Amino acid sequence: MAAPSMKERQACWGARDEYWKCLDENTEDASQCKKLRSSFESSCPQQWIKYFDKRRDYLKFKEKFEAGQFQPSKPTVKS
Amino acid sequence: MLLLVLAPKAWHRLSHLKPPALVWTPGGKAGHVRCRLLSRQGPGDTGRQSRPQGPGLGTRLLITALFGAGLGGAWLAARAEKEQRRQQQRTEALRQAAVGQGDFSLLDHQGQARCKADFRGQWVLMYFGFTHCPDICPDELEKLVQVVRKLEAEPGLPPVQPVFITVDPERDTVAAMARYVQDFHPRLLGLTGSAEQVAQVSRSYRVYYSAGPKDEDQDYIVDHSIAIYLLSPDGLFTDYYSRARSAEQIADSVRRHMAAFRSVLH
Repeated sequence: MAAPSMKERQACWGARDEYWKCLDENTEDASQCKKLRSSFESSCPQQWIKYFDKRRDYLKFKEKFEAGQFQPSKPTVKS
Repeated sequence: MLLLVLAPKAWHRLSHLKPPALVWTPGGKAGHVRCRLLSRQGPGDTGRQSRPQGPGLGTRLLITALFGAGLGGAWLAARAEKEQRRQQQRTEALRQAAVGQGDFSLLDHQGQARCKADFRGQWVLMYFGFTHCPDICPDELEKLVQVVRKLEAEPGLPPVQPVFITVDPERDTVAAMARYVQDFHPRLLGLTGSAEQVAQVSRSYRVYYSAGPKDEDQDYIVDHSIAIYLLSPDGLFTDYYSRARSAEQIADSVRRHMAAFRSVLH
């Protein structure tokens, strides 16, 4: 399978950004962004979608962490 | 500064030599004569000049200065020689590194064999990545060619060769590299090779890479270190730039390296 061309990459990034914007506006409620999600999925290779989903999780975590809002989960007490 | 440190020591040594000199000069009776002279003079007498005192203050200072200058000169000469020897050894080591270190044997995106010596005389900006890379590699390559464009636009600067080396030899064939590099810069050179050749060049430049699991489309992501490398016209690794550096910062750094560059090769 050939790697996406510059045009295909840009189309994929564009669809990803639209979808991410929708998630931002709807407090991460994916059910509100189904249309954009399917456009994102049809514009990018499957492997990239997995990668970008993980990347968004990471970026969100980073944002929270840098804002000082991240609370590490309490260590589980061993019985 | 050196003389100031050495002079007191030198004078100290000279003063050790003085007493025997006094004994020899007035026919072995110096001690005696001196006592009589002292006894004749009154307690308030300050006529020090009249007593035989060895060399005068001016002469002493002159001897000290000459002696100090001699010692200092010898020390400086020894230091200069040592520094020169060190510099020669360093140049020799650099020369060997210039030829041997970081050498590679790869194919460019037109199918031509390429090794490091082919880039001698050119500044090289080098990035390792793969063509199926979702976002980081295209971003970094875009930044790399932006640097090249900035430097190209400045008259009087030597040209910079942009190079992209794949860490995914399985998929990045010569044809795949040719398709990929054309989107970035007309002079961007894509390099690929066998799994062993890619492993070898990555090892030389301390680049880590590891292919992830394949999905049903046989697609996968290659995790790899992200850095742009700068090689001097001697082929020596000169600097590297992490992802956080902007195109402007990298261009500034390259300009500084160009201004300071002196070839170690003949």
